[in-house]
Amino acid sequence: MPAATMIACEALTKRFGHFTAVDQVSFAVAKGSIFGFLGPNGSGKSTVIRMLCGLLEPSAGRAHIAGFDVARQTEDIKPLIGYMSQKFSLYDELTAHENLNFYGRLYGLRGAGLRRRYAELVALTHLAPYLNRRAALLSGGWRQRLAMACSLMHKPSVLFLDEPTAGIDPVARRELWDLLFEFSSQGMTLFVTTHYMDEAERCSHVGYIYMSKLVVCGEPDDLKQLPIVNPANTKRLDVTCEQVTVGLQAVRQLPGVRTATVFGQSMHLLVDASLSEDFLRAELARVKISHADIRPIAPSLEDVFVALTNNENGASA
Amino acid sequence: MKTPFRGFTAILLKEFTVIFRDPTTLFFMFFPPLIQIIAFGYALDNDVKHMATVVLNQDRTAESRQWVEKFVDTQTFRVVAEVNSVDELSSAIRAGKAYVGLQIPPDFTRNLHAGRGAQVQVLIDGSSSTIALQALQTSMGLALRESLTTVMREARRTEMPIEVRPQILYNPTMKSANFFVPGVMGIALQIATVFATALSLVRERERGTLENLLVAPLSRWGFMLGKLTPYLLISMTMATCIFLVARWVFGIPIRGDVRALFLATFLYVFTMLSLGLLISSRAQNHMQALQMTMALLLPAVFFSGFIFPIETMPKFFQWISTLIPATYFIGLMRAIMLRGASVAEYWFSFAVLAAMGAGLFSLCVIRFRQRIA
Repeated sequence: MPAATMIACEALTKRFGHFTAVDQVSFAVAKGSIFGFLGPNGSGKSTVIRMLCGLLEPSAGRAHIAGFDVARQTEDIKPLIGYMSQKFSLYDELTAHENLNFYGRLYGLRGAGLRRRYAELVALTHLAPYLNRRAALLSGGWRQRLAMACSLMHKPSVLFLDEPTAGIDPVARRELWDLLFEFSSQGMTLFVTTHYMDEAERCSHVGYIYMSKLVVCGEPDDLKQLPIVNPANTKRLDVTCEQVTVGLQAVRQLPGVRTATVFGQSMHLLVDASLSEDFLRAELARVKISHADIRPIAPSLEDVFVALTNNENGASA
Repeated sequence: MKTPFRGFTAILLKEFTVIFRDPTTLFFMFFPPLIQIIAFGYALDNDVKHMATVVLNQDRTAESRQWVEKFVDTQTFRVVAEVNSVDELSSAIRAGKAYVGLQIPPDFTRNLHAGRGAQVQVLIDGSSSTIALQALQTSMGLALRESLTTVMREARRTEMPIEVRPQILYNPTMKSANFFVPGVMGIALQIATVFATALSLVRERERGTLENLLVAPLSRWGFMLGKLTPYLLISMTMATCIFLVARWVFGIPIRGDVRALFLATFLYVFTMLSLGLLISSRAQNHMQALQMTMALLLPAVFFSGFIFPIETMPKFFQWISTLIPATYFIGLMRAIMLRGASVAEYWFSFAVLAAMGAGLFSLCVIRFRQRIA
């Protein structure tokens, strides 16, 4: 049985004057899933979140959360959603303890209920040693945890996180994702924007927005099977060698190499199926790269988005 | 669960904690008004006394020197120098060494004894009209009094044909602090209150915490009241301090009902705090909030009757003054403190302040959009 739909957008559009920030975006997010929303800066990610949270009124189209219309039933939606904005907006003068209590009271919690929820979240986020510290004095990772705990005080059914890991160190990032998985397993729906591909890979569903339009939406594995990502008679190769940048210049000139991109110590190539590994090795030897480790790979999500972006640019050009 | 004021307690508690956590806010609410009160109470005094005077006595007789003494005895003039020529006299005034030049011509005593009109020349620096007016009135009054005494002696009368017996009510000593301090209370309170609320909401907008509040299920009334109430309590405390300073430091009488005084203050402070919130809900950043506040508060300094009487203004400015809350508050302060007026006698001013307060507060609740665009 498919899970119930928690968030549904139908041709959601937002125009600011003549500029269309979000252009007819449609997608659905199932209850309990982690929806990763990706796209370059200024592509409209935050605008979509703000419309879903009722902060912005859609110019056209509709969106529903748990069956409530975001434009007309904003007050019914508010208790159901949590929102963690880009800047982890906390009250800097208040301690972590006071911030948590404030957000709890804001959502009508009081007395024993407030204390119980407070204790739960402190335990979950390990904030205990920092409770009496002012928010201004917390490091990025702890501010982020505190902001998340604040947005969870009222046990929302849907949590929107706008770039929750921007400017956070890798350990804190991983720990945040562990928490997100835990919430998801408890049935909470998570809507996360991010720039990190490794985070996108961990989402149950991803949507990619480019130039105000939703280009693609689906499960990461399905997206990697898209024909546009895997053109007929091609294969993807990972080439690990020394002096990757030199190698990149060389292979880009070769017939049969369609795209070449650097990934850390290696490069990812999209080549004609007929291109042989020996030919590649020989060509690399000509630029004095004597040893290269070549193996076939499946496309990554980044490959998917690069292919889709190139395709969009080609279509509009 | 949808009470009309939901979120009120949460906002109220948070706002109080934030205010007391950051003492600069409190300092800037309390300090400037007290400084203003003290400045206006002590330093700014338009009871002009002992103004610098240079004397050119060309007569050099006992009588003429006696006349100079009579000028000094009025307490208005103080001789700073004696000069020997008309040029020196006028250059002393031009150089700012004296406000007044007193010239007694060589034939003064002779004319006086002969019963011909004896003349004394008084040169007055008109650059400051307050000082000039005082010098003019005192010297004219002196001449008139001395002339009358002479005429009456010659006519052998002991009583004046007509006598005016003025009695200054409510401020018998004509102390200017009695006039200024109630006025400066209005101006000082409005600056502290409007700035406090104008900045409080803008701060949330700039930090991004406003978005968190907007996605929460709190009512606009609860939100605005929660924002306003802490500042209302602080402002009332501040007003009490100002009253104590006015009463015990400057000896300004409080003749009317203290409850009327506090009712007027409450309505005024509420109105000004609402104005601050309204500014705050329009302004996008600190700078805009400060500029809007200055633009809205400046007219009150000129047109509220704080210094210049409203009655003498052109009709257009009188009309502007009726739109300024400080006009009513300052009027009420003078009426209640100095004249002991009652609420019933001034019900109109109370009603106007109440209406302005209710109107502005409702406006900022209604105009406050729970969306960011």
